[in-house]
Amino acid sequence: MSWPLYLALKQLFPTGRRFPFFTLISILGVTLGVALLIVCISVMGGFGREIRNMIVNTQGEVQVRSFGLMKDPQAVLKTVGTIEGVVASAPFAEGVVMLQHENKPAFPAIQGVDMERVESVVPLRRYIVAGQFDYLDDDRVILSSQLAVQLGARLGSKVSVYSPLLLEKLKTDEILLPRELEVCGIFEIGHQQLDSSVVIVTLRTMQELYGLGRAVHGVNVKLAPGADPDDVARAINRALPVDGLAKSWMDSNQEFLFVLQLEKNMIFFLLLFIIVVAAFSVTSSLLISVVRKTREIGLLGALGATPRQVAACFCYQGIIIGVAGTLSGLALGFSVIHFRNDIVAGFTRLTGSQEALARFYQFSQLPAYLSGKDLALIVVSALVVSTLAGLLPAWRAAILKPVEALRSE
Amino acid sequence: MSDPILQATGLHKLYLSGERRIEVLRGVDLAIAAGESVSIRGESGSGKSTLLNLLSGLDAPDSGDLRWEGNATLAPARRGRLIGLVFQAFYLVPELDARDNVLLSARLLGKIGEPERARATQLLSRVGLSARATHTPAKLSGGERQRVAIARALMNRPKLILADEPTGNLDEGSGDAVIDLLLALCAEEGCALVLVTHNAAHAARCARRLFLREGGFHSA
Repeated sequence: MSWPLYLALKQLFPTGRRFPFFTLISILGVTLGVALLIVCISVMGGFGREIRNMIVNTQGEVQVRSFGLMKDPQAVLKTVGTIEGVVASAPFAEGVVMLQHENKPAFPAIQGVDMERVESVVPLRRYIVAGQFDYLDDDRVILSSQLAVQLGARLGSKVSVYSPLLLEKLKTDEILLPRELEVCGIFEIGHQQLDSSVVIVTLRTMQELYGLGRAVHGVNVKLAPGADPDDVARAINRALPVDGLAKSWMDSNQEFLFVLQLEKNMIFFLLLFIIVVAAFSVTSSLLISVVRKTREIGLLGALGATPRQVAACFCYQGIIIGVAGTLSGLALGFSVIHFRNDIVAGFTRLTGSQEALARFYQFSQLPAYLSGKDLALIVVSALVVSTLAGLLPAWRAAILKPVEALRSE
Repeated sequence: MSDPILQATGLHKLYLSGERRIEVLRGVDLAIAAGESVSIRGESGSGKSTLLNLLSGLDAPDSGDLRWEGNATLAPARRGRLIGLVFQAFYLVPELDARDNVLLSARLLGKIGEPERARATQLLSRVGLSARATHTPAKLSGGERQRVAIARALMNRPKLILADEPTGNLDEGSGDAVIDLLLALCAEEGCALVLVTHNAAHAARCARRLFLREGGFHSA
C-alpha cells in the first residue's frame, strides 16, 4: 500500500479510535445523498417501468395504423409477419361509443380485438379480475373495473351500445337499434384512465358497430425479446404501402416518455445537490485538517515526501469518504427500496391516506426499478463529487513549504 | 579526515522583517565528517535553527555553497535516506502508534517489508519502548515521544542526524536520558550528529563544540 493511502486511512480511521467523529459525519453526508438518489430514482424508474409495461401490454411494442381504414388487414398481417423480430401481430378496431345500463350512460373508448390473435400480442387475460376472457364473443363485452362500478354493471348484466353509425343511419331516416351486449368479464390494468373508460369487444362486433366491413384501424405487433421496437417499426414501414405507418411504443408516446425522463433527470439533478453539499462539508473538514496538521505536513516533507504525495494523501481521504459513503448509501438505499411498501404502508397509516395513494397514484404497491445505467450514474457522480471535494485541501497541503509548516504555531 | 558528509561554505541567510534586514547567517563554513558529533550553541535568534534548516535542505541559503556527499542538490527522497531529523516538538503523527511512527520514515521511501518492520522493532527496543510499541503518542510521556522520534530518525540508517534542541520540551532528567541515548545510538549506527542545544552540558558531550553568534561560528 502506498504511504499516502496508508496515511489517509490512518487519518480517517486512527489507531485506537473506532468511530472517529469527523469521518462518520463526512461519510454520513455522502451516504444520505446516495441513498436518497437510489430511492427516488428507483421509484421514478419503477413508475416508468409500470407505465411502459402497461403501454406494451395494451398496445404491443409496435402499432401499425392506416391513414384511413386498413381495408386488407390480412395482407398487412402477412407482410408484418415476414419482418425480422416480429413474433405475433393482431388487428384491432377502436372508437368511442355510448354505453347505457339501467339508464346510466357512459362514453368509453371501445376496442375490438381479434380473439384468435390478440392473446399472442397483448396479455389481456392477465388483467381479467372477474369473469373469463374466453367467454367473450360477438354478443358479449368486457368492461373496465371502474366503468362497471360507475354503470352499476356486473357479470351477466346487459348493456346497450350506441355507436356513431346510429347517427349516420338517422341522416338517411333509418333507425338502428342499440346493440345489447352481456357483460362477461371485468378487467383492471392498474391505470386509472384505462380502468375507468375502456370496453373490449370482439373485432367482428366492433366492425358491425362502426360499419367497417372487413376493415380494421390498425395492427398491434409483438416483438421477440431484445428486438429494438424502433428498428422493427422502420423495417415494417419500408415493407408496407405508403398509406400505413408503423410506430414503436416509444415513438407513439414520445411526449409522455419525454416528460417522465425530464422529471427523473430533474430529481437526479436536485438530489445530486445533497451529495454536493456533503462534499462541501468534506472539503471544509479536510481544510480544517490541513490547518490542524500543518506541522505534520511539514514533517512529511522533511522526512522525504514530495508535494504530490502529500496532495495524494488528502485526495485519498476524499476518495475513501466517497467510496465508504457510496457503499453505505447503496446499502441504505436498497434496504429502503426492499422495505418500501412497509414504509409506505406505515406512513399512510399514520396520515390516513391509504386509499388516496391507490386512487391518485394508480399503483397499490410502490414500484421500484433501477437500471444499471442509473446505478452507474449515481455511483460515478458520488465518487467524482467526493474526489473533487478532496482536491482543494490537497492543493493547500501540497503548496505548504516544509520549513514554514514546521515553524507554524 | 575522510570526505565530509556535508560541506557548507560561506552560507548567508537574510530575513526581511518589514523594512528591516536581519542577516542571520554571515558566511558560515561547516564540514561534518562521517561519525563525528558536533554541537551548536547560541542565544535565541542567533540562527541555529535556520542553519539546521539549510543543512537539512529544507531551506535554501541566499548565498554560499552546500554539498551533501559532494552533491549540490538534495531531493526529498535522498534527504530521507541521508539525513535523520529530530525536532524539539517531536512531531509524531498522532493517528499512528509508536511502531508505525518509527516505520513512517521507511514508508515515505517506499520501503515497507519485513526487514523494515524488524528494524523498527529493534530500534524501539533499543530506545526502551518495546512495551509501548502499540501506544499512540497521546499515551506517551514527552521523553518517550522524543525517544520514538529518535528511533524514527535512525530508521533509514542515515549518515547524519540533525537534532534541533531535542531536549527543549523535556525536564532535566528526561533531557539527559535523551542525549545519552542519542549519542549512544549515533555511535552504534556510525552516523554523524549535529546537535543544536542551549544546554552547555549536553553540548559538551559532543566531540566538536561550536557557538553561533552574530551570524558566524566561534569556538565554544
